[in-house]
Amino acid sequence: MKIGEKFARRIASDDDNMVPLINVVFLMLVFFMVAGQIKKADPIAVSPPHSINDTRAANDPNVVIVVGVDDRLYVDDQLQMIENVQAYLEEQFSLSLDKEGFWVQIKADGAIPLDKLRPVFNQVRLAGLTKVSLATQLERGEE
Amino acid sequence: MPLNLSQPKRKNAISLTPLIDVVFILLLFFMLTSSFVPWRIVDTPLSVSSDSPKIAEEIENITLTLKVNDGQVWVKDEAIRFTDHAYFKTLIANHNDGTFIIKAEDGVTLQTLMHLADRLKINGATRVSIANAFAMPETP
Repeated sequence: MKIGEKFARRIASDDDNMVPLINVVFLMLVFFMVAGQIKKADPIAVSPPHSINDTRAANDPNVVIVVGVDDRLYVDDQLQMIENVQAYLEEQFSLSLDKEGFWVQIKADGAIPLDKLRPVFNQVRLAGLTKVSLATQLERGEE
Repeated sequence: MPLNLSQPKRKNAISLTPLIDVVFILLLFFMLTSSFVPWRIVDTPLSVSSDSPKIAEEIENITLTLKVNDGQVWVKDEAIRFTDHAYFKTLIANHNDGTFIIKAEDGVTLQTLMHLADRLKINGATRVSIANAFAMPETP
């Protein structure tokens, strides 16, 4: 009988119970594609200081300096000695097209003592750059 | 007799398993590479010449000095706890047009500095300068 045959074949198809799974997975995929930003990870893990400050950068920094807890210094993902930072910054500044908007971001761990950061800032100052920003993360749930 | 060539059609849908494999891989990729915490930035404009801070000192500025990470800040030789909202409120109300300059001694962490800057901002300070905390100590 035709009806019975059709019905039997439908039950035999294993893939049918996968459909809800695929629905959920697709939804998650769309969520992560839309909501997430793909960014290059930092060369070392740093946990920047928490702050109530909510200013976001309008554009990407020209140079990113990452200072880890172990005092290692990464300038644009490359391990650098502190003495060479000034020369690097000057070179980048001369290569930059938008000299007015040239800015340096310093991502330093919140646990770093300030005297470890002073030489870094000094190098930036020696390079003649004034636009420097510190990275922070938005504080949540305190008080 | 005509041959019945039309085979009993199997439901020729694409098998879903390879599709799910691919979708799972994509999902994993996006989950691992995406970051949801956008970094915030605090501008710390550096003064190129050493003259400008001296000119700025003519306006009455309040200097706050951090000595150790104990939740206290020194204002005019007096130790103030960060949590002393009343003190900060009156201080800020009395020096509305001055700049609050935060200085820090060696060993004070970046987090402590940001905490103090936050405190000042919460209590209504509009001009807080943290750049001095990063200035190299003057060599006599």
